Amino acid sequence: MNWELIRLLFLHEARMLVRARRTVVMAIVLPAIIMPLMLYAQKYSADRRERLLTGTIYRYAITGEFADRVRLLIDQTRKSLSDAQDDEFGRLRQFRFVETAPADVRASLAKHEIQFYIETITGGEADKSRNEASNTQEAEPRRLRGVPVINVVYSGDRIASDVAHSRMLELLRLARQRDSLALLAGRGVAADAKDIFAVEDANVATAGQITGSLVGRFLTLFLVMMMLTGGAVAAMDIIAGEKERGTLETLLTSAAGRQEIVAAKQLAITSVALVITLLQGLNFFLYVRLKVVALPKNFELQLPTGMALALLLLFIPLAATIGSVLLMISAYAKTYKEAQMYFFPVYLISLVPSLASVMPGISLRSAIALVPVANVSVAAREILMGRPDVMMIGITFAVMSITAAYLMRASARLLSREDIIVPAHFEAAEFLGGAALFQKRVLRWFALMWVVTFAVALNVPVLATFRRQLLFNEIVVMMGATVLILKVYRLNPIEMLSLRPVRPVVWIAILFAIPSSYLTTLGVFQLVNTVMPAPQQLLERFAEDVIPKGMPTWQLLLYIALLPAVCEELAFRGILLNGLRRKLRPAGLILGIGLIFGLFHVMLYRIAPTAVLGIILTAIALMTGSVLPGMLLHAGNNAMGVVLGNDLNLYVLRWWHFLAAFTIFGLSLFIIYRNRTPLPTR
Amino acid sequence: MSAPVLVRNLAKAFYDEGRGEIKAVDSISFECHEGEIFGLLGANGAGKTTTLRMLSTILAPTSGTATIMGHDVVHDPEGVRKNLGFYSATTALYPRLTTRETIEFFARINQYPSKRVPERVEYLIHRFGLEKYADARIEKLSSGMKQKVSVARTVAHDPAILIFDEPTVGLDVLNALDVQETIGELRAEGKTIIFSTHIMSEAERLCDRIAIIHGGQILATDTLAGLREITGQHYLEDIFVLFVKAGQETV
Repeated sequence: MNWELIRLLFLHEARMLVRARRTVVMAIVLPAIIMPLMLYAQKYSADRRERLLTGTIYRYAITGEFADRVRLLIDQTRKSLSDAQDDEFGRLRQFRFVETAPADVRASLAKHEIQFYIETITGGEADKSRNEASNTQEAEPRRLRGVPVINVVYSGDRIASDVAHSRMLELLRLARQRDSLALLAGRGVAADAKDIFAVEDANVATAGQITGSLVGRFLTLFLVMMMLTGGAVAAMDIIAGEKERGTLETLLTSAAGRQEIVAAKQLAITSVALVITLLQGLNFFLYVRLKVVALPKNFELQLPTGMALALLLLFIPLAATIGSVLLMISAYAKTYKEAQMYFFPVYLISLVPSLASVMPGISLRSAIALVPVANVSVAAREILMGRPDVMMIGITFAVMSITAAYLMRASARLLSREDIIVPAHFEAAEFLGGAALFQKRVLRWFALMWVVTFAVALNVPVLATFRRQLLFNEIVVMMGATVLILKVYRLNPIEMLSLRPVRPVVWIAILFAIPSSYLTTLGVFQLVNTVMPAPQQLLERFAEDVIPKGMPTWQLLLYIALLPAVCEELAFRGILLNGLRRKLRPAGLILGIGLIFGLFHVMLYRIAPTAVLGIILTAIALMTGSVLPGMLLHAGNNAMGVVLGNDLNLYVLRWWHFLAAFTIFGLSLFIIYRNRTPLPTR
Repeated sequence: MSAPVLVRNLAKAFYDEGRGEIKAVDSISFECHEGEIFGLLGANGAGKTTTLRMLSTILAPTSGTATIMGHDVVHDPEGVRKNLGFYSATTALYPRLTTRETIEFFARINQYPSKRVPERVEYLIHRFGLEKYADARIEKLSSGMKQKVSVARTVAHDPAILIFDEPTVGLDVLNALDVQETIGELRAEGKTIIFSTHIMSEAERLCDRIAIIHGGQILATDTLAGLREITGQHYLEDIFVLFVKAGQETV
């Protein structure tokens, strides 16, 4: 590495970025002004709410036979409230109600002249209308016969009407309570609820912790959003923009090596992400510590210097991770526009892990510490709440640093690829069609299949039953798309579906792998469950979703074991694997196809286990060059789930059972590896 | 001493699922002598750009060797690029840099002695008549001016070897003549130049020796006079067609 060249290139990239107006706006101006704007907006909204609470006069009317009685009750209660001056009803006391007497209350409410009206109904009238309602089968209110009704009529689509009616309901309930106490007192029973026991509360969290919890929940999400938007503009300009303008080729013919060029570009993007982070740090200092702008009421954030540095330490690898992801998107694209197209889905997916801090009950002392980005999000919340877990923060930092280093290496490798950096020499594929075009389009097909699977599962009630949904997904989506792809691109089915025979010993290994892989997966599940316990309700739901009750076993075996094994293996390990085989290295293929396979199993909590299965099946398909052994393993694995299902008591099994299963499974894979007949990959 | 540019059995194959292996360059050999303009004459898709991209180390050869001023394109790509200026219709300039900044950046990045960079920048600004536009951003310049800045950035580090890959593509007649004139002047300054084109008149006017390339193979290499003598044809266009047809018959 020539550091002088890196310095020169980095300064060059920085100069280019600073001179691009949209980069400056997205990466510097927007992040700089967004926090004061948000603080101001929050304060403005709180003040406005306060003003509305105290400044607005709510108009109402009272109708019906015992309007005077209700009027008197309201007056008495309001008077007693203003005399008491205690905190319990402070909110109610601030409300200002004025009674008016319009000729037609309904019309007046419709014209917004009043916010609500109170309709007083005698017991007899209410009983009569209840009888009529029961004829029309309306729900019966919980009211004894003969009891009069005070009905508050309002317009729920108007905020003022809604708020005012809630307050009036509160006031009327209070009036009813006080009236009944007065009645009891009149009959010699003096009782005040307050004399039985007092209800109070004590919050042990400081104002700083409460604010920290609130800010911490969204801090990482907010930062990731800022880094992604600001960083994306820079990343697109730095690679896709350079490709489009032709300056990348100019740079590649200079004496600077590719390593230096990639390092400088990576540094530039990471710097943009770091500048965004530091700007937020500066914003915190200016607006929260120095209180340059008026803060919302009760907004008090305590962040000692040490904790602020710990946060910054976590955000550095986060910035590098995001920088690398953005560089890779930009590298894959040939033009600025294409990069923008790739960016949007990546943006949405990248935001998911940073939402971990919003989910209740997740602590950093769990498996979440091993999930990149999600761990930073939870750690940031705990730090801001003043409850940092130093050891887990250390683990989070290590996980993030490894992730950042891996992604930086991957993006450097990507940028060294000829087909990535040089204007494509495969454009002919567009004209040739057939297999050449199939390779380019295979991911689009699977994206479409995924959208169809999801859209149908959510929006077509006819297909909502277990059987129909399965038939639709497997036969229409998987098989249908497989046949269509073979036809559209004129592909050889035997070759593209990897329908090749394998050595007999592979079949024997698969037979051993079926029970052992099933037990190994259960063992892994048990292990994860001890580190991060899944709620019992979720587990039951999982079992119910996968294996519906009351279905004959032969049908279950057909729907759950045979059908998915055949259709999914042909689609994923046949079409998808052959489509991507020349584009990715074996490790990338195994992980990528495994993950895509997981994503197709619609429900969130099924993604991880199916992705693991997908990884194993892809590895076997790569080693054997055939889809058939994986088909048997897939069917066998699912069949074991059907046959054993809930009957297998996991607690009977000890660790050595799992260890034995794991060893047999490992041996089976080893035998398959030793007898491999792989297809060529990149 | 060996020739400044030495190419031996250089080949480049791309893999295409639809067509299988495509030999963009199929075992070509040639050498360029000091201070000459060596022309690579071929139709579009003949393999000119792929050859030149291998010489400039953007692409790695599938087999064969090539050296630039004694530096191997595979084993010492940095050494190659330090001695090389590469210009093509697809190598663009940074629009947000000024003329002066562009020349300075490329002089420094190509490791021209740091202390002499300002002097070199001023010389090139004067040499190409860019004084009036020295501090204007590239995006504001006319295409003729951009062309001049492009040539200036190609020679910013004073390399011994210059590659011009179809430099006049997309230029009007006057700007094309301007570029041709500059290339002639650079030869007069002692540079070794590889010049690729599909325009016969350009090759006739500029090149000391011409290699006719077609289908990734070099069909003939000689001076214009030599080619005329071998073929008995006067015009380069006829000479070219003759070789290409003969090549196709051989295939």
